[in-house]
Amino acid sequence: MTGRRDILAGAALIALALAMIWGARGFPSIRAMAYGPDLFPNIIAGGLILSALGIFLEAFRGAAPGPDHEGPDRRGALSFVGIVLLVVGFAVFLPILGFHVAAALTLMLSTRIFGGSWMLATILAVSGSVILHYIFYSFLRVVLPWGVLAPVAW
Amino acid sequence: MDLVSILSVGLNPTILGTVLVCTLYGAFIGSMPGLTATMAVALLVPFTWFMDPVQAAAAIVATTTTAIFAGDISGALLKIPGTPASAAYVEDSYRLAQSGQPRTTLFTALFASVAGGVIGVVILVVATPQLADLSRQFSSDEVFWLATLGLSCAVFVGGPSVPRNFASLFIGLAIATIGIDVAVGHPRYTFGNLELYDGVSFIPAMIGLFALSELLRNAALGKEANLARLTVEPLWGAVRAAGAEFRRRWVNVLRSASGGTVIGALPGAGADIAAWIAYAVSRRFSRQPEAYGKGHIEGVVDGGAANNAAVAGAWTPALVFGIPGDSVTAIAIGVLMMKGLTPGPGIFTSDPVLVSTIFGSFLLANILMLLTGGLAVSLATQVLRVPRAVLMPLILLLALIGGYAITGSVLAIWIILVLGLLATGMTWASIPLAPAILGIVLGQIVEDNFMVSMMKAQGDLTEFFARDVAAVLGGLTVLIWAALLIRAGLTIYKGPEDFRRKEDKNDRSQQT
Repeated sequence: MTGRRDILAGAALIALALAMIWGARGFPSIRAMAYGPDLFPNIIAGGLILSALGIFLEAFRGAAPGPDHEGPDRRGALSFVGIVLLVVGFAVFLPILGFHVAAALTLMLSTRIFGGSWMLATILAVSGSVILHYIFYSFLRVVLPWGVLAPVAW
Repeated sequence: MDLVSILSVGLNPTILGTVLVCTLYGAFIGSMPGLTATMAVALLVPFTWFMDPVQAAAAIVATTTTAIFAGDISGALLKIPGTPASAAYVEDSYRLAQSGQPRTTLFTALFASVAGGVIGVVILVVATPQLADLSRQFSSDEVFWLATLGLSCAVFVGGPSVPRNFASLFIGLAIATIGIDVAVGHPRYTFGNLELYDGVSFIPAMIGLFALSELLRNAALGKEANLARLTVEPLWGAVRAAGAEFRRRWVNVLRSASGGTVIGALPGAGADIAAWIAYAVSRRFSRQPEAYGKGHIEGVVDGGAANNAAVAGAWTPALVFGIPGDSVTAIAIGVLMMKGLTPGPGIFTSDPVLVSTIFGSFLLANILMLLTGGLAVSLATQVLRVPRAVLMPLILLLALIGGYAITGSVLAIWIILVLGLLATGMTWASIPLAPAILGIVLGQIVEDNFMVSMMKAQGDLTEFFARDVAAVLGGLTVLIWAALLIRAGLTIYKGPEDFRRKEDKNDRSQQT
């Protein structure tokens, strides 16, 4: 289990390093300077590859640190995915639906994900979005999008 | 800067109010199992955007100070440390609470934390101006080596696995390369997105790394905390008993607070490592070492004093050199830089008010913590009953909207998500987060100063060692790298048995 985890982690680091090197190929260089904008990205990519090799070696020698905790059960995994999808949904729908609707929906669904009842979810959705509206919009003067509620904006 | 200007911070109603509110906030978040002091600060940062720099620094200082202490509360009552800094002595504090002394234990920890914090501030006040005088002579060579030394220290103390600590550092440095480069002003890895030209926005990045990742972990693994039925002592009896215990252990407090301040000043070594080391030292010098881990108050006093002293210690390199001592000071430096202030020796002359406010806020926060921490201890059993289903959704929305408020752009939410998932993946692979944070904060400083030095030296690398201080700092950095390589080689060569022993000794740093 730890070995597979480490192979995946090392591979991800190498992939990131290769992407950095590939991206740095297009950076311009100036003749008068020996060091350009690609120097640090290439050094960092080299460091990532060496780190990945170290992680592979640790895994190969059985010297890797074990996971801090057991993996999530099915319910935990679903909750994890649910929260990720909620954040994606919030980013996509915030400009369309506006802060209030997006916030209320996020609060309602996340309360359910964390095991709250529908009643609690509804109360939290309404009260939470109103309180945060007052904190950010009225008190801190943050411009929050009104979206579908634009006709009733104040 | 004099004592009067530091003490007069308590007379400024804005700062006083900010510190009071933030100590209450820190006490609440810190006492919640699984919600760390760093997360408390990450969630606070969007609000600091709307404060002036002095008030923002005071808010961060007050929140951290109290959150670190408040981590003891859920540790003692639930055996789940509220912050990793309380993990070292959780077994003792829990057993003491179970034996019918929850309030006495927590008030003793509170008094030790306050004393530790105050001693840490005194050392901070005395040491930083001297160090600042020294560092005023620094050129880009010294600053480059100092930042590199800071990053190397973070790798050294990051965790038991050297390759993973390095991986974390390089991930942070990779994130720091995004945006316009310093050499020729070319946009790097921005994918044509103009909003990324200034780099990855710092506040959403911190919210993602510390708040969303903890929420995701809580969603995947968290369970409702079960507060067992406890015998709770009368309040004043507990305060008197704790006072007597504290007076008996003042030598421990002095020793651990001084040690904790020094450990806190090492980049990457935060309050949790300070507490673990203080606990181990305490056991070594105790007359009852066999009682440790079985409900002995001595370790709680030492650990509590050390972790709060370390909070102040971490500000020493942050203020003097602009090198963060831990994740929280990394965030604080980011906040100050966003407000146009660059921590470093110059800040002592250019902005003495900020420096004295930070010192004064530390002092004030530690004193007010007697009140707010005492309140948290008194109400602990009620606070810990706030259900996860109420707390977590509110924190989620606060995190998302807090990130959005800073930039006014949905990109902030995507950054929060990507870095939240990255931090989750890193934790899963046992890659520590602290070196990455330092990499994000210091990446540009390292690159800027390297480029300036290279231009001055016309590409001659030996010039990096030409000045005395630069040569010493460079030599120290090279020594640390050599030590790291030897450590990594030995761990890999000796294989699992050696590693298990080392992991047992070091697994506390992994708990971050």
